[in-house]
Amino acid sequence: MKHSVNRPPTPDAADDQGKEPTLQEIINIKLIESGEKERLMELLRERLMECGWKDEMKALCRAYIKKKGRNNVTVDDLVHLITPKGRASIPDSVKAELLQRIRSFLVSAAL
Amino acid sequence: MSGPNEDNTQLSSHFFGDLLDSIIADVASECHRIAKLGLDRNLEEEEEELRLSAQARARVADPSNSGETNNKYVVDIFGQTHPSVASEIFECMNCGRSIVAGRFAPHLEKCMGKGRKARLKVTRSSTAAQNRYSRSSPVSTYSPYSNSTSTNRLSNGTSGVAGEEYSNGTYEEP
Repeated sequence: MKHSVNRPPTPDAADDQGKEPTLQEIINIKLIESGEKERLMELLRERLMECGWKDEMKALCRAYIKKKGRNNVTVDDLVHLITPKGRASIPDSVKAELLQRIRSFLVSAAL
Repeated sequence: MSGPNEDNTQLSSHFFGDLLDSIIADVASECHRIAKLGLDRNLEEEEEELRLSAQARARVADPSNSGETNNKYVVDIFGQTHPSVASEIFECMNCGRSIVAGRFAPHLEKCMGKGRKARLKVTRSSTAAQNRYSRSSPVSTYSPYSNSTSTNRLSNGTSGVAGEEYSNGTYEEP
């Protein structure tokens, strides 16, 4: 007999009580389904490339890799390296633009 | 109670952070890939190698380093040293003498006919090439084949040797 026969039954979304989707999740789904999330990502990517943010991050990575040796570095290391500095060095104009777009979407989606 | 605006602001920030995290992960992944594949490092390593090879070149070109001619102990890329005069001895295929390799070229000159005396060494089987280079020699006292008697064939008046002769553009059958 297959082992999978004994697995617990798939939880039915309707039966699940404590798992109501949060507002966040709902909006997330809407963002994805409408394609807006993808567009926003592309916009952000483009802006960050234009202002040199991506190059700065890559330089940070390279320096770290050089120090540690390229065979001793994991993606995780790099993510942890970049995240605090990355978040802090976003230009205000870029942040404002994206926030504005997201807010517009929220407004339109909430209706 | 926070109004919808504040909620919106909070939500926007949340989603912005979400997008940013994704992009950061992408950049990290890309850098990681480049590092592991050695694509980026190549530039730095190449620069390093260029530097080293430039150094090596400078050392070679440096006149204060003795060249082959004045130092027997120059080492080549295989780590071997060579004496400045080749010292192997072998047999000359023309005359059969034992010759030192380093003296082979001058030997061949004499042996094969560049020199004045070389013509006297002419043998039956040798071809016209020998006489082509002979210069001042007068009538040779030694002609195995006297089939051609014309003395005008060669500008320097030598008579013929066996076989065809090519000289100054004239060509005669024996």
